[in-house]
Amino acid sequence: MAGYMDLPTKGGFDFGLCRRNESLAEKKGLKIPGFLKTGTTIVGLVFKDGVVLGADTRATEGPIVADKNCEKIHFMAPNIYCCGAGTAADTEAVTDMVSSQLQLHRYATGRESRVVTALTLLKSHLFKYQGHVSAALVLGGVDCTGPHLHTVYPHGSTDTLPFATMGSGSLAAMSVFESKYKEGLTREEGIDLVAQAISAGVFNDLGSGSNVDVCVITKGKTEYLRNHLLPNPRTYVSSKGYSFTKGQTEILYTKVTQLKPKVDVSEGGDAMEE
Amino acid sequence: MSIFEYNGSAVVAMVGKNCFAIASDRRLGVQLQTVATDFQRVFKIHDKLYIGLSGLATDAQTLYQRLVFRHKLYQLREERDMKPETFASLVSALLYEKRFGPYFCQPVIAGLGEDNEPFICTMDCIGAKELAKDFVVSGTASESLYGACESMFKPNMEPEELVETISQALLSSVDRDCLSGWGGYVLLLTPTEVQERVLKARMD
Amino acid sequence: MECVIGVVGRDFAVVAADTSAVQSILVHKTDEDKVMVLDSHKLMGASGEPGDRVQFTEYIQKNLHLYQFRNTIPLSTAATANFTRGELATALRRNPYMVNVILAGYDKDVGASMYYIDYIATLHKIDKGAFGYGSYFCLSLMDKLYHPDMTVEEAVDLVDKCIKEIRLRLVVAPQNFVIKVVDKDGAKVYARREYISDSPPDAAPATASATATEA
Repeated sequence: MAGYMDLPTKGGFDFGLCRRNESLAEKKGLKIPGFLKTGTTIVGLVFKDGVVLGADTRATEGPIVADKNCEKIHFMAPNIYCCGAGTAADTEAVTDMVSSQLQLHRYATGRESRVVTALTLLKSHLFKYQGHVSAALVLGGVDCTGPHLHTVYPHGSTDTLPFATMGSGSLAAMSVFESKYKEGLTREEGIDLVAQAISAGVFNDLGSGSNVDVCVITKGKTEYLRNHLLPNPRTYVSSKGYSFTKGQTEILYTKVTQLKPKVDVSEGGDAMEE
Repeated sequence: MSIFEYNGSAVVAMVGKNCFAIASDRRLGVQLQTVATDFQRVFKIHDKLYIGLSGLATDAQTLYQRLVFRHKLYQLREERDMKPETFASLVSALLYEKRFGPYFCQPVIAGLGEDNEPFICTMDCIGAKELAKDFVVSGTASESLYGACESMFKPNMEPEELVETISQALLSSVDRDCLSGWGGYVLLLTPTEVQERVLKARMD
Repeated sequence: MECVIGVVGRDFAVVAADTSAVQSILVHKTDEDKVMVLDSHKLMGASGEPGDRVQFTEYIQKNLHLYQFRNTIPLSTAATANFTRGELATALRRNPYMVNVILAGYDKDVGASMYYIDYIATLHKIDKGAFGYGSYFCLSLMDKLYHPDMTVEEAVDLVDKCIKEIRLRLVVAPQNFVIKVVDKDGAKVYARREYISDSPPDAAPATASATATEA
């Protein structure tokens, strides 16, 4: 019998199925499927005393809208957030991974995380995988050296910019920034400009849509404005909805199982003698 | 033909008031040939947590076996059941580990958490979580399921109405998909009981 | 082309398969037994790449024997099915066996049962099934004519109807078939359906192993 034991792994990728999947694709002519993508508009800008990040909330799978209100602004550290575009699983995994590395680093040093630390961790991981981990990121935060905004490309290259856009809606969003961005914006002007840039993506790029998420990071304070704008509410459902009367569906077989109530063991009473 | 369409499948989960329902079709096919019409795609993890695995049947079975194994290890170590959120993260991690050679499965996770708060979630085959408050769908009939659920779903349905809604959404969706259907299976979980139903469906 | 058929009756299961060994356009022999007797109460009908088929079915058979030696009890049919699936699934990730399997067996406590396992390790319990080109004809026939409480005679009659249909309608129909049955008394060859003999008419009779009853 095979000496194969399925133990929890220590981390890292497992390429065990690659050969099988290749041969399946070859033999059967079966296409390897696409993954969940965030055809996305994500932006960020530096204003007078901090950074504003913005994102739309549409997740797509080919031409299908898979999620109408997903979160694309990921937590990295209390003072650093990161917008993700590209393959959803990759942006999620890479930001989660770096965020826990940063947390461990904070435990070890007792200091606030720096944006460049996050940047270096992200780019070295992405470079290692030569673009196969397809995450395009806008990283923003405020640390002891001031506000920072970076973009990270899937191959691991990075830019440091006063304003940045990424994803399929980046062109629409960039046109807004190019015409309206100026140095020394106030907080309100910054949020407004970011919201405008995302809205440009939402309405002009098919891969982006639904709502506008905004995150404002200033020295010592972070505000996550989830669904800052809701420009696309549901209008097509009747107020009553569909109602089905009970017993309309033909049923061949029914099985009802009562769940056992969970027993609560209280800690009260006399403690056992030692 | 995509490898997701090899066996054919439809899985959907919906949230109601303090309850949820998870439903699937019953066809096991090999491309256009039907092998069986009593295939199970919805599996129990513990009393209040279920997972539906659409996509390639062999990977659904392998993945289910690995998940049960990992959940049992957790039960032994922690002396409790997993919360649905934790379990979703486990599934996601297991799938993302195989990022460059994935299992061809799209899971749908549904469970009742603490205080019987319903939790539903789906993922793509490499573990990108998609949390939803209303309904989640997956499988070859997912496109039609999106449409059916989008119009039929109402928030805060009572258990009886939820079963009726999810059944109708499933049956109408698989009618527009050649590869799934041939019977339906609906599981309803309320804080006190599990109701399993096998639906009569078109057999063509 | 290859055909493997299986039917479960009230307290028995029938597994039938063609007996042709074909490579490209050439029929090498017509008495190749593709239904292996795994142990006293199990049959494994297999189709697929000839080398893999022989290697894999023998591997399963020998492991069952080993299990029985070590533990003094045989593996149940359900356990064998899951073991077979597990082996196929792990092999699938290294160097896959191109084998499709119909596994039938008789257990004292559960009676007769049958499992469908394809080369990508999909496992499913069935009461009628088929693999190969023959399945396109057999499945519809069995859907129409099968009922769960068949007698051995009725089930073999159904299999005969399937074989007849294959011979009538399949361009590349194999000539000979073997039908095996497993019930409470064990697994054995029930009948052969032969159009042609493997040896030329004036040669010596076929080897003993081809006609001996296996138990």
